[in-house]
Amino acid sequence: MIEAMSEKRSSTKSAVEVKAPEAPASTAPSPVVPGGMGGEPAHYDVIDAIRRGESVEPTVHESMSEADAVIQSDDFKLWYGDSQAIHGISMGVPRGAVTALIGPSGCGKSTFLRSINRMNDLVEGVRVEGGITLNGSPVYEPTVDVIELRKRLGMVFQKPNPFPMSIFENVVYPLRIDGERRKSVLQEACERSLKSAALWDEVKDRLKESALGLSGGQQQRLCIARAVVADPEVLLLDEPCSALDPVATIRIEELISEISERYTVLIVTHNMQQAARVSDYTAFMYLGRLVEYGPTGDIFQNPKLIETAHYVSGRFG
Amino acid sequence: MSGDRQESGVGGAKVARRRTLPSAVGEPMVWLTGSALVLCLLMIVTLATLVVVNGLRTFWPGDIDRVTLESGEVVMGIRTAEDKQGRYLYRVGNRDIGQESFRWIDGDKIAQVEQPEHAVMLEREAWGVWFGMPESVSMEADDGSLVALSEGAAETLDQFALLHPDARAQRAKAESMRKRELGKINHGIEHARLRIAGAEMGVDLRENASDRLGWVSWSAVSVVVVLAGFVWWVGREVGVGIGSSGVRQGKLTRFGCALIVVFGLVGIWVGAPWRTQGVTAAERDVIVAQMEHVQEQLQAEYERVLAEIRMSEEQDSKLRLVVVEPTTDRFAPIAQTRGDEPMMLSQVVRLIPANQLSVVGKTKVFFSRWWEFLSSGPREANTEGGVYPVIVGTVLMTLLLTVFVTPLGVIAALYLREYAKQGFGTSVIRIAVNNLAGVPSIVYGVFGLGFFCYTVGRYVDTGPVAGTSLQSGVWWLMFGAAIVTAIVSFAFGLWGKPDPGSTSTIGNRVLARMSWLGWGVTVVLAVMVLWRTPYFAGFFGARAAEGSPTFGARGLLWASLTLALLTLPVVIVATEEAIAAVPNSMREGSFGCGASKWQTIRRIVLPGALPGILTGAILAMARGAGEVAPLMLVGAVKLNQDLPVSTTAPFLHADRSFMHLGFHIYDLGFQSPDSQAARPMVWTTTLLFLCIVFALNLAAILIRAKLRGRMTGAAI
Ligand SMILES: Nc1ncnc2c1ncn2[C@@H]1O[C@H](COP(=O)(O)OP(=O)(O)OP(=O)(O)O)[C@@H](O)[C@H]1O
Ligand SMILES: [Mg+2]
Repeated sequence: MIEAMSEKRSSTKSAVEVKAPEAPASTAPSPVVPGGMGGEPAHYDVIDAIRRGESVEPTVHESMSEADAVIQSDDFKLWYGDSQAIHGISMGVPRGAVTALIGPSGCGKSTFLRSINRMNDLVEGVRVEGGITLNGSPVYEPTVDVIELRKRLGMVFQKPNPFPMSIFENVVYPLRIDGERRKSVLQEACERSLKSAALWDEVKDRLKESALGLSGGQQQRLCIARAVVADPEVLLLDEPCSALDPVATIRIEELISEISERYTVLIVTHNMQQAARVSDYTAFMYLGRLVEYGPTGDIFQNPKLIETAHYVSGRFG
Repeated sequence: MSGDRQESGVGGAKVARRRTLPSAVGEPMVWLTGSALVLCLLMIVTLATLVVVNGLRTFWPGDIDRVTLESGEVVMGIRTAEDKQGRYLYRVGNRDIGQESFRWIDGDKIAQVEQPEHAVMLEREAWGVWFGMPESVSMEADDGSLVALSEGAAETLDQFALLHPDARAQRAKAESMRKRELGKINHGIEHARLRIAGAEMGVDLRENASDRLGWVSWSAVSVVVVLAGFVWWVGREVGVGIGSSGVRQGKLTRFGCALIVVFGLVGIWVGAPWRTQGVTAAERDVIVAQMEHVQEQLQAEYERVLAEIRMSEEQDSKLRLVVVEPTTDRFAPIAQTRGDEPMMLSQVVRLIPANQLSVVGKTKVFFSRWWEFLSSGPREANTEGGVYPVIVGTVLMTLLLTVFVTPLGVIAALYLREYAKQGFGTSVIRIAVNNLAGVPSIVYGVFGLGFFCYTVGRYVDTGPVAGTSLQSGVWWLMFGAAIVTAIVSFAFGLWGKPDPGSTSTIGNRVLARMSWLGWGVTVVLAVMVLWRTPYFAGFFGARAAEGSPTFGARGLLWASLTLALLTLPVVIVATEEAIAAVPNSMREGSFGCGASKWQTIRRIVLPGALPGILTGAILAMARGAGEVAPLMLVGAVKLNQDLPVSTTAPFLHADRSFMHLGFHIYDLGFQSPDSQAARPMVWTTTLLFLCIVFALNLAAILIRAKLRGRMTGAAI
């Protein structure tokens, strides 16, 4: 099973890599669009249906059903007060891979991500229907301990949010709140996760200094170190690079590729190149609905829907 | 000019220019706003200068004038002021021979002014200052006659300088013996008397009332210390998370707090102030016999110590100082009623031969007077001597009030901002809290007196008001009801929470309301159960029955609590603002790491808000330290030489009344018998008050700055 997984992963990766040299980072890999490529305004069946508020079956590639899902959402719906932000999403996030969520602004990517570790509980008036499971255990059940649940997931936010403490304290924060006080354990964990966040060499001499003194990119990597220090089952990244410059972005992307060898990653991004570069699977969302979901190579080069093709090539959205 | 401009349009066409109003020329508002600021600054600077100059002048020894009037009268004193009509105000002292201590002298009527080299000003233990010429130091012989040890002014001054320190030391020793040892013996006699009285009423008061007071206060202190420790711990371990060496210290602090709590509990248990034991007739006789024996022994001891003191005082009274004043040629007497005997050497606190002194000498006198002012108690209706007990009272009350108000306000603000659902309820509470800040302070005084002193305090002293305690059956019923309502409210509260991921239903909301209602009922029941218990008869009933209540009267504890209440809005508002200023992304990050609400508050919100919280505490402290009106009702007194801290039993005597600088200033200025003489002291005390409040604020500001520095990180 695991061998099969890794084999499939390497195949998807190579599919992207083949394309990469022709399409440098500045332009999106041009999709192979089925149907009309002309200049006339395209006619989108699915998107228009969604805009009209009709429920549409998502287009999920066949290979997805084989994958072993860590996170499985089942007709998940979410309301902010009276307005519905998510209209029944059913999808599985494959284990040990990077899955990207893409879609125009306001389509509910962050909301879906935050539903997984129930950060939406903090928002007044949120209501959900349907379920999400994490490694088979339900997320939305009255008996679930939210604190325990969040400890099983690591989360990194759009804007770097290091705490106003030392770098060391920032990294070991999740362990501290678990009551870990042994200095050796903390130091060992701090070093390990800073290394896996590719930050160790830069900060190893200034662990006692305030984390607020780091650059934006370093701060974001620090947040990643903080998210992985307690060995989470899944890493949730919400546009981790949107506040960073291109160089820092590249570093974080490399980091995500590295980290994905050990963790399952679910990443929200606005940047098509980024999705193409770092992810194994991509889900395209629109107005709270899943539109198309499949291996990244297929989504970018051989999507089944014209909407997806136009979106990833930047022609709409 | 403007016409030219209007003509110069593009392509010759006339362009209508917008005109500049005269009011916009030259920025008149700069002048207006600037001068308003200057005015404000000027007023503040004037105030500070006035206080500082007048306050510092008090202790500088002025030259002593010998003024001969045209009528031939001779006056000796220090010139302190002068008015437009050319009159001079002289401080002439010598009140015990019947003159006013200040005197206006018409400049026209002065025939001659000289400054005799040896003229002196005496500061005495009673009756204010004395101006005159030193004549001799004498010794009383056995037959009662005086033998002069020195002749002439110069020799007398030398002789005085030689003998004075010893005489003062001896007198101080006798005085302290009178206070300490006699005090201890009196205490023992009182103890015995109380036990006899108790035994005759059929109760064995094994510990006397003041010992019980000791234990109870000790426990109260432990509570205070624990609270203070908690604040410190939060501040250090959490707030200063940078550096992270705090683990061991945190453990130590917790250990210390636990120790103090254990001490407090043991104290209460040993003291068992609620326990009274009945005695049989036989036991009563034993107690009475024992105690009477003790009383006899102590009485004998008392006589012995008293005799010793008398001896020392007699010795003391042999050395006399003769200082003659020029008007009537009379010397400073030993007492007003014994005008024919010169004063004792030891009665002189300080002798200042002002005209002889160089600037250095005067500076010495200046500082020695300041030292006396800061380190000793007041004399002569507060107009002379020092303000040491006043400083102690003020500082202690301020610290206590800060210790009370800060945790309370912070916790309340935390609930309001972090836990409570924001809505109509919280808005109402906020408005109410803000309005509380505008209530006149005297209202708090009235409340403190009525509620803390006369209600809570009396309850602590004597238990439920006689006749209001419930029958034990009814009481237990009520007790049970309180517990049941508490459990029910708790359960309702749990049920009233909506399921995760769904909004609250009508049922939820009804349950939540019921839960709140239930808690209200529980509180009412709990108060009733406490208030009307038949099982508690007060901690200090015996003394209260004799008309000397312990906590049922004005005192430090109630004063601090009253002022804590008064300053509560300041802390709540400041803390709320500080908490709101902590960015939400920090909270989200913490929750995302799997922290609970309380962990997030403790590790992220509180440390982030700490500088703001400290600002609130500082403001509260400043406001509380400067408040006088409520203190007049709940605890500040004109004179109480017993400090509220001591080295005996409970150490912090929170039940004692205390002296307070604000009240002291008022008392000096308006209540003293010789208000003109007290005026310089008013300035000096004001200066001191200003300095203390300023120092407290400065200390707090420095702490805050340090914290803030650590919070934002030195690396930026
Ligand atoms: N706290 C909230 N209260 C009410 N509505 C919200 C809240 N947060 C998000 N929404 C709404 O839910 C919808 C989805 O928002 P979400 O933040 O998930 O979008 P997104 O896909 O992450 O967009 P972006 O790419 O711009 O971050 C939007 O219409 C938004 O207005
Ligand atoms: Mg988003």
